[in-house]
Amino acid sequence: MKKIITVFGLILLGFSTGYCKIDLVTLPERDTVQLTIYNSADLTLVRESRTLTMKKGDNKLQFSWANTLIDPTSLELFPLKDADKITVTDLFFPPRITGLGVWNINSGISGKAPCEINYFTSGISWQAYYLATLSQDEKTMKLEGYVKVTNKSGEDYENAQVRLIVGKIHLLDNIAMLARRYPPYGRPIEILPRPTEMEKKREVFTMAKPALSEAADRVVVKQIEKEGLSEYFLYTIEGTETIPDGWTKRLLSFSQDKIPVINFYKFEEERFGKNAIRFISFKNDKAHNLGKEPLPDGLVKAFKIADKNERLSYIGQDNTKYIPIDEDVELNLGAVLDVKVQPKMMDYKTYNYVFDSMGNITGWDEEKTYTVEVSNYRTIPAKIEITRNFPHQYWTIENKGDFGEYKQIDIDTVRYTMEVQPNTTKQFTYKVILRWGDRQLI
Amino acid sequence: MKRMLGFTVIASILFFVNVSHCRTKLVALPERADTVIRLDNPNSTLVEEERVLTLQKGTNQVDFSWTGVSIDPDSICIKILTHPKEVNIISVSYPPGENALVWQIYSPQPYEERIRISYLLKNIDRLITYKAIANKEETKIDLQSFLVLRNFSGEDFSQAKILLDYGETFEKQVLHEETRQMLLLTRQNVPIEKRFTFDAMVLPWDPEKVQGNVGIPVTYVAKNDKKSGFGEFALWNGKARIFQDDGHNSTIFLGEDNLNFTPVGDKFSLYTGDSRDIVITQRKMKDIKINVKKNNLGSIVLYDTDEIMKIEIENFKDAPANLTIVENILGQWDMEETSHQYEKEDANILKFNLNLAPKAKQTIIYHYHRRNVR
Repeated sequence: MKKIITVFGLILLGFSTGYCKIDLVTLPERDTVQLTIYNSADLTLVRESRTLTMKKGDNKLQFSWANTLIDPTSLELFPLKDADKITVTDLFFPPRITGLGVWNINSGISGKAPCEINYFTSGISWQAYYLATLSQDEKTMKLEGYVKVTNKSGEDYENAQVRLIVGKIHLLDNIAMLARRYPPYGRPIEILPRPTEMEKKREVFTMAKPALSEAADRVVVKQIEKEGLSEYFLYTIEGTETIPDGWTKRLLSFSQDKIPVINFYKFEEERFGKNAIRFISFKNDKAHNLGKEPLPDGLVKAFKIADKNERLSYIGQDNTKYIPIDEDVELNLGAVLDVKVQPKMMDYKTYNYVFDSMGNITGWDEEKTYTVEVSNYRTIPAKIEITRNFPHQYWTIENKGDFGEYKQIDIDTVRYTMEVQPNTTKQFTYKVILRWGDRQLI
Repeated sequence: MKRMLGFTVIASILFFVNVSHCRTKLVALPERADTVIRLDNPNSTLVEEERVLTLQKGTNQVDFSWTGVSIDPDSICIKILTHPKEVNIISVSYPPGENALVWQIYSPQPYEERIRISYLLKNIDRLITYKAIANKEETKIDLQSFLVLRNFSGEDFSQAKILLDYGETFEKQVLHEETRQMLLLTRQNVPIEKRFTFDAMVLPWDPEKVQGNVGIPVTYVAKNDKKSGFGEFALWNGKARIFQDDGHNSTIFLGEDNLNFTPVGDKFSLYTGDSRDIVITQRKMKDIKINVKKNNLGSIVLYDTDEIMKIEIENFKDAPANLTIVENILGQWDMEETSHQYEKEDANILKFNLNLAPKAKQTIIYHYHRRNVR
């Protein structure tokens, strides 16, 4: 299959007193390349170093990126050495040529000049995902975190240092749109670009490249260094990676066994309907053998060890939010039938009527008595959280029976939290008096 | 490819005029001398060019016409430079159906006269862009500003001075359909303040009920003053990309925002991204009618509401944070009690400024009465 890209035809042009003497000096390879890939936006910061050959005086350096997804407005070149002698005077995009920019460089020296070229590209992405395995007694869990890097940028990146950013950046423009916009900065009267062939090509699967086999020979699992920067977390993958266009790589980010978990159920008719929803909860902290790093948002697939032979059974999956260090994690594993919460209205009354001068009713009290039956049909204890919502804030409540811990959440929400032993049913009653109309003025 | 336009540039043709009005004798097609592209007005670009006319004694007629470019005819001005006291413009006229105008110029002697023609040219403009690199501690930024000239006017400028109202002047060739990016100014070590802002009118109150995380916007605030290395001119509106030194001889990209036009003395703020390490849960804990007044018919005409708001803030970061909580109370209100001091932004907007310690939790409770007239 035809290779999509011709990136970086790097040509050095000698330039003297107005007459361009085109002088192909060298086509330097990348010395190093670093990819910083974002997960909250389709954006990768590429930073590459190349050794250019400068002539004393004015130099022109041509950079082309046809058939890639590079954002030309992000292009930047600067010398890594002799910064006081080498000046990048401007960057121009010649008329009627797409995918080409030319830097004018004034150099006080001649010879090798290591330079850095930075730009944004779209088409490279990464995602976190997790495999969670509960122990047979469901008291602990093993959590494995992975990162998956996919390159659909149109460009092969060989021996690249790969860094991943966990965080939510603010962007004004979509990088893929900027990459296909011509001219690079638009026109004074803007014409919006349409999707091009390139967009469709991104979906094309490129043939396997031998570069991958190298990595497959590795025996030791690569480490991922993690550190916080500003509001983001930076993951740096040990060594370098070769990610050809079209390929995805999966790397283990961390693996932690024996994380204590709480099995816990929520019931809130307005949010979840008639069924109780199962959650697994733990905390991203040291007490739970975690807390070294925030957990990026991603899909969690949850399994359970089903028998002594450690066979697995699949429980469910959830997309987790980003979890900061020390925050609680609640994995929503979906509706269950083996924990049931059944509220029933057992009594209904109205009284305390208020009449106006015409004899019309302008206020009354409404009394509702509910019995709530909470059943745990499982063989392990369950923590259950029952949330009840009222139509407004003018109410009083009276709880009776085995209602556990009661808490008012806000003006019209209350919550009961209780632990129910295996194969047990608990029952409690609440009487809520709602005041309507003029009865609210008391 | 066929050249699109002729900008028969200032096809300044000089005719000798006899007593009659007919245009007869071609005297010269003067070359363009000094050209200036002035970009200080973001909406219109002014081109000034100087030419040398060969004037004959008496009344001369100078044609100025253009094709393939868009010039605002009413903006065209001519200035006599060599003999301004002797050479006079007698009249300006517009020939019918042509993109042209004709000057009648009186010269007492045959002169090689330098003139300056200025006009507003369309489809050529500039953008301003910024690049900021914050230090690792996020206390200061190095700021670069770029001028991006976009020439789609139909005209090639073989050599032109390009200027804004500040920064460097560039002398460049600018061809039709060419875009050119030039470094306009650099400022090092501009002090910044990092601020987190929770606006209760914009962000959800209960993160538990939201799919995904509620990000708290993070901004860098800096001032256009002498202390920051600016203070000489207003900063133009433009897109800013913000990076941060990562401590490993590299940078990460923090985000981008529009740097709004900032006059001298004003602050500018750049929204980089959202923090998900600060979690804010806001809940209304009380909202009941009190002090109810009825008219003789028993209808409510006046009442107050007694309202209590509770805001729980958790900082999961191991760094302190400056947080602004923006709250909104509509109508006539009186604060009864508040756990934290606030500033009034206007009649309805309150701002609580907090300094959160690392890993700290804080709760704001404010209690107010609101007047309701029916």
